[in-house]
Amino acid sequence: MTDLLFLAFAAVTIGAAILAIEARDLVYGAAALGIAFLGVAGLFFLLDAAYVGWFQIAVYIGAVVVLILFTVMLVGPRMGEAPLGLKRVSLLAAILVSLLLGMTGALANATAFPGQDSCGSGCDLYLLSTSLLKNYGVQLEFVSLVMAAAVIGALALSKTDRGQ
Amino acid sequence: MLGPLQPLVDMVTSPLFLMIALFPGLTSIAIIGALLGWLERKVTARVQLRIGPLYASPAGGILQMFADLIKLSFKELFVPENSDAFFFIMAPTTGLVIGAALVGLIPFAPGLQIANIEVGLPAFLAIITLSPSLVLLAGWSANSKFPFIGGLRALFQQTAYEIPLWLSALGVIMMAGTLNLAQIVAAQSTGWFIIPQALGAFIFLVTSVAEMERLPFDLPEAESEIMMGWQAEYPGVLFLAAQGPGFVKLYAFSALFTTIYLGGFLGPSLLPPLFWMLSKTLVVIVLIMLLRSTFPRVRLDQLLRAGWTTLLTLAIVNIGITYLLVVGLPTF
Repeated sequence: MTDLLFLAFAAVTIGAAILAIEARDLVYGAAALGIAFLGVAGLFFLLDAAYVGWFQIAVYIGAVVVLILFTVMLVGPRMGEAPLGLKRVSLLAAILVSLLLGMTGALANATAFPGQDSCGSGCDLYLLSTSLLKNYGVQLEFVSLVMAAAVIGALALSKTDRGQ
Repeated sequence: MLGPLQPLVDMVTSPLFLMIALFPGLTSIAIIGALLGWLERKVTARVQLRIGPLYASPAGGILQMFADLIKLSFKELFVPENSDAFFFIMAPTTGLVIGAALVGLIPFAPGLQIANIEVGLPAFLAIITLSPSLVLLAGWSANSKFPFIGGLRALFQQTAYEIPLWLSALGVIMMAGTLNLAQIVAAQSTGWFIIPQALGAFIFLVTSVAEMERLPFDLPEAESEIMMGWQAEYPGVLFLAAQGPGFVKLYAFSALFTTIYLGGFLGPSLLPPLFWMLSKTLVVIVLIMLLRSTFPRVRLDQLLRAGWTTLLTLAIVNIGITYLLVVGLPTF
């Protein structure tokens, strides 16, 4: 059952992520990005990290996707660029992405994830907050940079339009 | 005895299935949503010295909403020309699902809760954050100016008020020391959180009224300026689907307010817990409806300034007060 759910969530995430990049209509792209984020949240739930999963939904769909949608609708171009097609650049990108994925996988395999850090069934709020703020404080700050990246991205998108 | 049908019968008669299907799940949500529509008309009418719905009834026009429901479902269903049909239909129907999911997290009585998850309160608030993007998509997809203005207003308003909403709920989490809604109720057996969290409860009520797009914060719908805003183009059944989440959210938010501030299902034991839960929820609902008939609609700039400055500051002050209440004065 868990394997089946994992496959379903992974398929939704990857499919929606491809759609997010490839969709001509930017609004559809943004909505697909939201669905990809939902898929990732589902993967977090499968890992028994419900706390992270709900915050994934609140921050990524509730804030980042809304910001992108808003920019696209209000100031952005209606249609994105045409798909690149298969070029030498895409081959390079494919090699780089598979290298990155392989490295991440190898790192994850080599790491022993210690402790009860997730907050699923039998969640200890005290333990979770201690480990988040003491052991993983720096990582937490880096994760929160995503919000800043989203704001900068929204600004950049709206700026290009105003220049025309 | 039943042979191959036995597992099916077991599933249908299992407590979880009955809870999801009947109470507090889908059937009761639909009926309560319709009854709230009637109650809202009746309460508003009484405040304005009118009678309100009267004829479709055994008593006080109580069947009016069901009559409207039947009327709307027989109207022609069409999607406006040049609109984005996928999002136009998807947005309100997903809104209904979201509204129903909220109710599933509320503990109505000990054991009478569909999803008793450890992170119930953040889950409720996280599900709510899905609604601005849906309203924006609904307004955009109609390809018409009033719906689009309504959708943008909804986005401004709901994103601005989500932050004070989360922060005010943080006060409750600090008092209770848990994120589980049933345990938050249990933590109130010594006293309701509305007394130490009076400021937080006020902020929570104001921001949740704004999240529900109800008067005095109904700018996304504002029927007198932008003709129902993002719902303007919806026909028949889809209009029902666009209106429905409003009432379901009213029910869910009032139940959540009762759960985290008014002691949930706790009460003198001479009546069942469910009675206390539902009657407190009803009081909160009527209070929110009275706000509707008492206050005029605010302007968008007033709304955003109040949200980003006053309410945000008050919410942070509330966290400071809660810290002093829970931990005591810091020693240096």
